Amino acid sequence: MNSLRKIIRPVKKCTILSYRRLLSTYSEESARQCEIFATEQKKQKESVGRIEKIEVQYEGQPENSVFSMNKNISTPYDCAKHLGDKIRDRSVVALLNGKTLWHMNRPLSESCILELLHYNFPNPAAANKVFWRTCSFVLGAVASDAFKDNIEIHLHSFPSPNVKSGSFVYDIQIGLDKWEPKNSELKVLSLEFIKFCQKQYPIECLNVDKKIALEIFKNNPHKSQQIPDIAAHNSDKITLFKAGPHIDISRGPMLPNTNHIGRITVTNVIKLDTDIEGGSIYRFQGVALPRTIALNHFAYGLIEERGKLLNSGRIPGAHGTLNEDNSFVAHVN
Amino acid sequence: MNQAEVSKLVSQLKTRVNPRLRKFRNPKGPEGRLDKLRKTVTALIKHERLELNYPRADEARMYAERLISDAIRYGDTHRTTMEMADYWLVEKQLVHKLFKVLAPRYENYNISYTRLLRAPRPYPGPEDEKAVLELRGNPYPPLLPDNTSNKNLIHNILLEEAKKAYRAKKYAEIAAKIDGVEVPVDLKVSNLNLEESSSSEVNQDDSSSKSP
Repeated sequence: MNSLRKIIRPVKKCTILSYRRLLSTYSEESARQCEIFATEQKKQKESVGRIEKIEVQYEGQPENSVFSMNKNISTPYDCAKHLGDKIRDRSVVALLNGKTLWHMNRPLSESCILELLHYNFPNPAAANKVFWRTCSFVLGAVASDAFKDNIEIHLHSFPSPNVKSGSFVYDIQIGLDKWEPKNSELKVLSLEFIKFCQKQYPIECLNVDKKIALEIFKNNPHKSQQIPDIAAHNSDKITLFKAGPHIDISRGPMLPNTNHIGRITVTNVIKLDTDIEGGSIYRFQGVALPRTIALNHFAYGLIEERGKLLNSGRIPGAHGTLNEDNSFVAHVN
Repeated sequence: MNQAEVSKLVSQLKTRVNPRLRKFRNPKGPEGRLDKLRKTVTALIKHERLELNYPRADEARMYAERLISDAIRYGDTHRTTMEMADYWLVEKQLVHKLFKVLAPRYENYNISYTRLLRAPRPYPGPEDEKAVLELRGNPYPPLLPDNTSNKNLIHNILLEEAKKAYRAKKYAEIAAKIDGVEVPVDLKVSNLNLEESSSSEVNQDDSSSKSP
């Protein structure tokens, strides 16, 4: 029995250590941001007041139907729950009245015609774009958490998602000069990405005032510089997205949950040639596929190889506007 | 050695032939086993898609493949083939279908004529494995989702881009070989062209998304 205990004891210590490590990865900064976000979310929920009903006409499989939902409380995701597990899990983004793309977890404000998009339509361009944007967003979350504490890291921005460019991108400022990632380092980043997705964080969305956004991003010089510009295009509101402990600005929409992302590789990190002050900007690139699409490893290898080339997306500069900016509502082409 | 090559005496099937046949034990013995399989093969030729227990489907598939390949190989003027068709097809009007419909359909196939897919079984319920056996080229809607023909699916877009990049690289290499001395200059030019074309696509994409 004693010998058994000897074997078990070191294991126990190990688990405690790993818990500590887990806890330490949630930095104080993200805890502070999440607190502000939660307070604002609660405030907005309470301000709904008396519950009113709206009529949502669903069009699509398995059959057209009409739902009576709660105004400013019910989301497209709630409607999808009525339609069964399969529809709920495959829906990527909602299409309101045939023209407005709407985040799945964002409350509906008026009666509308609802369609739910997924990856296997004849023309899934909108769903693909949402998927690619979410991958960029999660890449930012992973990268900001993956480095050691003594390395200063600030997320800058990501260009408008374009699947044809062969990879999704996040431009990040790191306090390292001339860093060229080894294969093992890229592998670690990919693994962190997979772990993040496996936690199945629902992606929440919140429209906040400029002041609150500035408070949330007060320690990020790039974001706080971008916020006034974005707010000017969006009637003084900033759209925030939150997955787990990570918060970012984007016009959206995004996936309803990180578990949509299946196969993932962070393919390359390339130093960019820009005039932004404060340190060198690196372009993080990756490729991913939705969980529902199965592809053999050879074909996926070809996609990975392509993802290693420098992405053609706009390179950020000290002056000029953002690509991934202003309004929350993106229109279908 | 004046011996005929054994492998050429029978048609070569495109499916696996089990080394040991299943017994399907029943009171009539081996004849009863063949009666069961005749029933299945006849139904397959008639309906073109069947849901069966897996062992029966796997076993009947071998006989159906052999029958169709013989029909293609020898045609309807061959006595032995006609006798086999007469034996395996319980409903005699299907003999016409075999020679006049199926043989022309599969003439130029270089893959198997039938397809066997594992099917889900009801749960809770009997634990027999289920399978779907079908003739290829049947008129029913497909059983598996089609992931290859739609070019707009995300993985097909990515593969298309990978193909373009690969071609651009190869063209650059060929151009470099032809020009010999001016290698580095040419490489640069081709790369630039590639970037320009892809960035113009990006711009189009952006403008179209913002315009409404």
